[in-house]
Amino acid sequence: MTKNNNYIKRLIFSFLAVALIAIPTTVFSAAPDAVKTDQLEKGKKVYFKRCVWCHGIEGGGDGPAADRLFTRPRNFIQGTFKIRTTDSGELPMEADLIKTVKNGLQGSAMPAWGEFLAEDEIIAVVNFVKTLAQDRDFNDAEDEEVFVQDFGTNPWGTTGPYHLGIPQADIDAGKEIFIKNKCFECHGGEGRGDGNPTMKDDWGFPIVAADWQQCWNFRGARRDYFNPFNVVRTIATGLNGTPMPNFKDQIKGEDRWKVAAFVNSLCPRKKMDKLTAKPIPDFLIQSVYTEGPVSPKIDDPSWQSPDTDDRIVPVSEEIAANPKRHYIAMAGQITRGKRNFDPKTDNLWITSRWSAEENAVYYLVEYHLRFMSDDPEYPDAVAIQWPAKLQDLFGAEKPYFIMGDSKKPVDIWKANFMPKDYSATNAPKDGGYQLDVSVEEMTGHGFDALSAKESEAKVEVVDSIFKQGRVKVLFKRSLVTEGEFDVQIPTETFIPVAFLQWAGRDKEKDEHMAISTWYYTILKPALPQSLYYMPPIIAAIFVCFQGWLVWMTKRTRKMYDEGKMRRDELPK
Amino acid sequence: MNKGLISFLVFVVGLAVFHNAIFPIFTPSEPGWILNRYVYFLVFVAYLIITNLILRLKPPVAMTALFVWSLGFYFYKSILFPPIPWTLFITYMVMWSIGVFLYVSQDPETFREFRKPIVKTIVGEYKFAQIIVMIAMPILVGFATYNSIYPAYQEPVELRTVHPAPPATTKVHGKTYPLESTDNPFRIDEQDNYKDSFPFLDADKHEYMKYVTEGGTIFFQNCHYCHGDQLNGLGMFSHVFNPTPANFIDPGTIAMLQEAFLFWRVAKGGPGLPNESTPWSSAMPPWEEHLKTEEIWKVILFEYWYTGWHPRTFGTEGAEGE
Repeated sequence: MTKNNNYIKRLIFSFLAVALIAIPTTVFSAAPDAVKTDQLEKGKKVYFKRCVWCHGIEGGGDGPAADRLFTRPRNFIQGTFKIRTTDSGELPMEADLIKTVKNGLQGSAMPAWGEFLAEDEIIAVVNFVKTLAQDRDFNDAEDEEVFVQDFGTNPWGTTGPYHLGIPQADIDAGKEIFIKNKCFECHGGEGRGDGNPTMKDDWGFPIVAADWQQCWNFRGARRDYFNPFNVVRTIATGLNGTPMPNFKDQIKGEDRWKVAAFVNSLCPRKKMDKLTAKPIPDFLIQSVYTEGPVSPKIDDPSWQSPDTDDRIVPVSEEIAANPKRHYIAMAGQITRGKRNFDPKTDNLWITSRWSAEENAVYYLVEYHLRFMSDDPEYPDAVAIQWPAKLQDLFGAEKPYFIMGDSKKPVDIWKANFMPKDYSATNAPKDGGYQLDVSVEEMTGHGFDALSAKESEAKVEVVDSIFKQGRVKVLFKRSLVTEGEFDVQIPTETFIPVAFLQWAGRDKEKDEHMAISTWYYTILKPALPQSLYYMPPIIAAIFVCFQGWLVWMTKRTRKMYDEGKMRRDELPK
Repeated sequence: MNKGLISFLVFVVGLAVFHNAIFPIFTPSEPGWILNRYVYFLVFVAYLIITNLILRLKPPVAMTALFVWSLGFYFYKSILFPPIPWTLFITYMVMWSIGVFLYVSQDPETFREFRKPIVKTIVGEYKFAQIIVMIAMPILVGFATYNSIYPAYQEPVELRTVHPAPPATTKVHGKTYPLESTDNPFRIDEQDNYKDSFPFLDADKHEYMKYVTEGGTIFFQNCHYCHGDQLNGLGMFSHVFNPTPANFIDPGTIAMLQEAFLFWRVAKGGPGLPNESTPWSSAMPPWEEHLKTEEIWKVILFEYWYTGWHPRTFGTEGAEGE
């Protein structure tokens, strides 16, 4: 209780300090929170049960799990912590570490412990972790003076979960600041983290810049993914141990909030799963009926639709009839054969149209990829997987989701591609890169029993591009084909579909890939004509019925009045 | 003021106040004998009856019928817990409506009184009400038609058996294990003796902790991606897969299973499931492809040590957890 009071007192004092010295950036210096020695025994117990597996016996970030994780677990020995409220290079406050443990680090293997451990266990383990920092000393008030940054308050007063309603002018101003400070050099022209492929962290391990269009993977998201504060904090404090410096002198006061607003505006608003801290996948991919032929150009307006969920931000009028972009969650294939523990892509976006006139279906597959492969032996690739014998499946039955099984084969449409004139270290290119695409059609009877189809090619990639850290590939195929192992695509039917993706730069090949589970797709028919004439007809019939009711009731009354009929008599 | 109107206000305002202010008081996180939702409902009904009696409002029969009907609607919609599916809700409301109708038609007098406002609306004696009803109803019918014709597609619901019946024996790495009589060879001591021991640190001191450490190492190199660092089925890849990975903390998983069942599940993975358990979409690897037999047993030992559950045995006692 006293601890709590102290904390509240400190809070009040810091507020008072801010109020008194009313200048835009107030920073207050403090000593780091000393280690609470009475907590260490309990903390050790928690650490060795829960944390040691990743962070290691001495806190070196080298537990048994470490080598199979990307990003690697934190090495505590140097006292380097990413998410802080203190200045670059400084030790964190205890409250920062407690928040990290409670909320986890999104986009990494560090889960949120807030609902799992009790408050006192978290405080204890945080204090134990502080003692693992060998190179720094949390008890050294003199040499380890910390400067807690002032972040100001949200100037627009937006609220969670989605923080919508920030004026466009401020977002544009934020973009100007983004350009002026050359954030794109690491984060890429559109913020997909595709700026610099050569970065290393303090320990020499490769590291990539954050993808701003997937803010749910920000380490410092604190399970409040869309809050611009997360970005303001990072601008002001940098991320210790990584190439991310602070920009507290270059970007000040409200400008930080404007950059944050710009960064946040890039992140599509999706409904989030509270337990896993990831967007909820769109398990039904709706292919929209198209009058006449479908445009084979990705840039065509008919293919434009926002990533943002239309239940959160309404879609503008002119693209309201376009197909939805569906979010597909991806994971490493860690089940069979050569397993992939560190996939480079954790989601795809699928948009689909079909045309009765062309008798064909189109699937636009998009995903974020920071850097493409330049090794022809390991091209980048993405594939759509179907049950090859849809007609033979009974009920919910499907082929095995990893490339089929001996009894139930799958039909795989795979596009292999290499960008033209590309080097990963190139500056962002506005027009993007054209891709050299080759399509492979395969039949899978299992991950180790794949065979290329001998029949002539039926799947086409009609358009593709790699631009600002995003791959777009537009697949096309006729609904009906002749091959024995070709999926025949009926309309108005739920068809299982899954997606596979290979990152060439990571030397992914064959079953060493990223994979989704089975989704469903459906070719929606045109809206029935009856939609336009039936409602008025039924309403008109109802009006007639009402008229009849009125007429009948009035007639009955009249008959009572004229004595032609007797009212029901009440008992005396 | 019109007494019918007062009665109507007593109902509407009372409901608003009760539902928003008093209902939360009666639904604490742990309901008691007095503070529970059904008592709340009785209190609300008592309030209605007493207020109407004291003020001598005597609302017309049609209005009383409306009140009674609405009370039923409110009960099934908001009070009854857990909430019932809409098909059941409709069934209940049909019965409730019949009951209300029986009540108003119990004798000719009340029935005539019940009909009076309806007839007056129809023939136009209540001009305003007639206009509203006659215009609103066709529009509603039109909208309902539109909604029913508009094609809507919901992904199909798929059911699966979570714990399928195990086979009598399972063959792993060339050796056949009868599931009923196979025990974990590494369970060399009572698990509870090691509640406060440390993996790694105590691995040299106690053989049991050595096995737990080895099992944990395997777990955190292979299994945590799906089953999670907390063994709660919320690993970093868990959201991708459907069915979602098992939550070992839950009392419905390893706590109620035999270790041999786990051994079979771990060794054979998704592809070893029977059809009713959708083997085609389970991401569980057949671990016999990646792990040795003893490694599988050690992982199982670790899972029980970490969660504090005890495996089910066919001996004298059942499962007991923390």
